[in-house]
Amino acid sequence: MPMKPAILQRLLVMLLLMCVCGHAAEPHHIAIYAPGITYQVDIVVREGAEYVGLTDLLEPLGRLESRADGKKIKLSFNGLDAEFQDGKRQFKLRGEKQDLSANFAVIDGRGYIPVAALAHLLPRIAELPADFHVAAHRLFLGGAQVRYACELLHAPSRLVLTFTAPVNPLIRVEKGRVRFAFRREAVVGGSPASVPYGDELIQSTAWQESADGFELDVNVQKPVTVIAGGGGRSFTIQAAVAAAPPAMAPRVNAPVAAPNGQSAASSGVVQRPVRTLPFVFLDAAHGGGDAGEMLGASVPEKNVTLALARRLQKELESRGVAVVMSRTSDAQLSNDQRAVAANTSHAVLYVSLHASSSGNGLRIYTAMVPSLPAGQGRQSFLPWDAAQAPSLPDSRIAAAALDAQATSAGFHAQTSSVPLRPLNSVTIAAVAVELAPPPGGSANDLGSAEYQARAAAALADAIAGLRGRLQEAP
Amino acid sequence: MIPRRLQYVVLVLVVAIFAMGGYLVHLKRKAEMVSLPLATRLSAPVSGPAEMLLLYVADDQSGTLRQETISQALPSDPGERGRTALHALIARCQQKDSPHPLPAGADVHEVFMMGPSSAVINLNAAFADGHRSGIGPEQLSLFSLVMTLRAQFPQLTRVRFLVEGKSRETLAGHVDLSSWYDTAAVAESAASLK
Ligand SMILES: [Zn+2]
Repeated sequence: MPMKPAILQRLLVMLLLMCVCGHAAEPHHIAIYAPGITYQVDIVVREGAEYVGLTDLLEPLGRLESRADGKKIKLSFNGLDAEFQDGKRQFKLRGEKQDLSANFAVIDGRGYIPVAALAHLLPRIAELPADFHVAAHRLFLGGAQVRYACELLHAPSRLVLTFTAPVNPLIRVEKGRVRFAFRREAVVGGSPASVPYGDELIQSTAWQESADGFELDVNVQKPVTVIAGGGGRSFTIQAAVAAAPPAMAPRVNAPVAAPNGQSAASSGVVQRPVRTLPFVFLDAAHGGGDAGEMLGASVPEKNVTLALARRLQKELESRGVAVVMSRTSDAQLSNDQRAVAANTSHAVLYVSLHASSSGNGLRIYTAMVPSLPAGQGRQSFLPWDAAQAPSLPDSRIAAAALDAQATSAGFHAQTSSVPLRPLNSVTIAAVAVELAPPPGGSANDLGSAEYQARAAAALADAIAGLRGRLQEAP
Repeated sequence: MIPRRLQYVVLVLVVAIFAMGGYLVHLKRKAEMVSLPLATRLSAPVSGPAEMLLLYVADDQSGTLRQETISQALPSDPGERGRTALHALIARCQQKDSPHPLPAGADVHEVFMMGPSSAVINLNAAFADGHRSGIGPEQLSLFSLVMTLRAQFPQLTRVRFLVEGKSRETLAGHVDLSSWYDTAAVAESAASLK
């Protein structure tokens, strides 16, 4: 008899392992590039087919209301009504039947759309042209693509890359190669993917793309320098001058780049890579099975925090502030996972976003952790629950800036400290922000695009103003 | 035809299911009987001269704690005195015009005074399980309890919370309930709520 629980346990562990391994082998997200916004949606695999969440997909693109009705999902997107049914290929758009090319799925009251149907569905529902790079899991909407031309000039030899829109790539100059990596920009390559030049300096170019972005390699025969120009639209790769004069032309990191004020030049052979490190780690609280508070009749807090995080990300990026997000879909993360992700993100500021129907305005929190014994600093070993202690002075600077900006934007703002996870375990400057309804408003206002946009703009102004004021992570 | 042996096995199993069900009901009754005297003891009225009791009452709209005084008989035993003060605070929040509604049935089981500087507040399940979720409302509830207890015991430096005698990660999904609260830090943070 005592054998049985052991066997059961083993079976469970094996099942869990199988789930984990199965997932790891699959491409796990799709990158979506729309005018003004880039985001990712997680892929779930069901019966061998890939699906993405309907809400994750549409929410960043416009005003979305959706409700589950048994096996049906009814939604209104920018005023357009659609109805989907579990296990059905057909869906209704404005009352008219349309074909989805694969079966729709409803899992736990959430609608999932087959990846294979994306290019077909999105132009109809979002009324935007779509171009889906199936193998790379990159989807372009509304002509968001950024293209480029390579022109080889002679005497002296140099390659000029000209983009159709300003770009901010990570540029790595290595021996024999310059790599341009575009993480968020909708850069697409021409055909063929690899072009030989056979020049004395420029050997060839080659590009590759995936859901993690686009990479362009320029293979070179000699040490080179990259010079940026044209407001981030053009890059010239030319031979490095031996002991280049210090005051020469704007260097690679010119386009908005390096928010941490870190500088990186790139002439010569093997160089320190030019990197755009994130300045802020945005953590949309709750997610998955942790819905947070139910705001109003049917809106869970987890949806509001994600929508707010996305708006804030957009506002920050338009101010030249690089952002990392803890989640971009309805994923469940533990507090420890959030803290570890923030602590290893190289960001300078952690912002956790919450929403609450209680009270009004914007509440800003710093961690309440025991004060450190004299002499203990960032480099000391600290208990996990008190890891925030050395960064508290910076966290308070950030909280004060957010409070001041929110107040001047007309919010009732309040700052205090509270024992809160994962704040206590975050090693960089860390604050939590809880958005409450406007005075006299209700929980329904928390879902309003206009109210969220107003809050996101105020928070983004404050965060952008913090650049250069906070200590960087060791 | 179902073999006779299988029929016996099924019969035995059915009997076992009913027997275990009966035993469960018996256990539940026994548990209720054990907890009953405790509840009666806790809600027993306190006799003695009435004193002015300072309550820190949370106000959701302003996000602050406001001080209110009531006249209340307070026992001399420190633990009982602490429990009576917190019971009065919770009762205030359960009134109709409450600025910070607490769930019906919410209460504090005991306050254990561990010397003059440490206290453990044992909340009942209704307090935590029915509490509204949110950093703001959770912070206000916990701070009002700490501040009201601190007003009774000025030497109190740290307070811990239990729910039904057990440690719990958060009150209602947000504010940490698993470690000690430094009363001076709470007082400082509460003062910054404006
Ligand atoms: Zn929350």
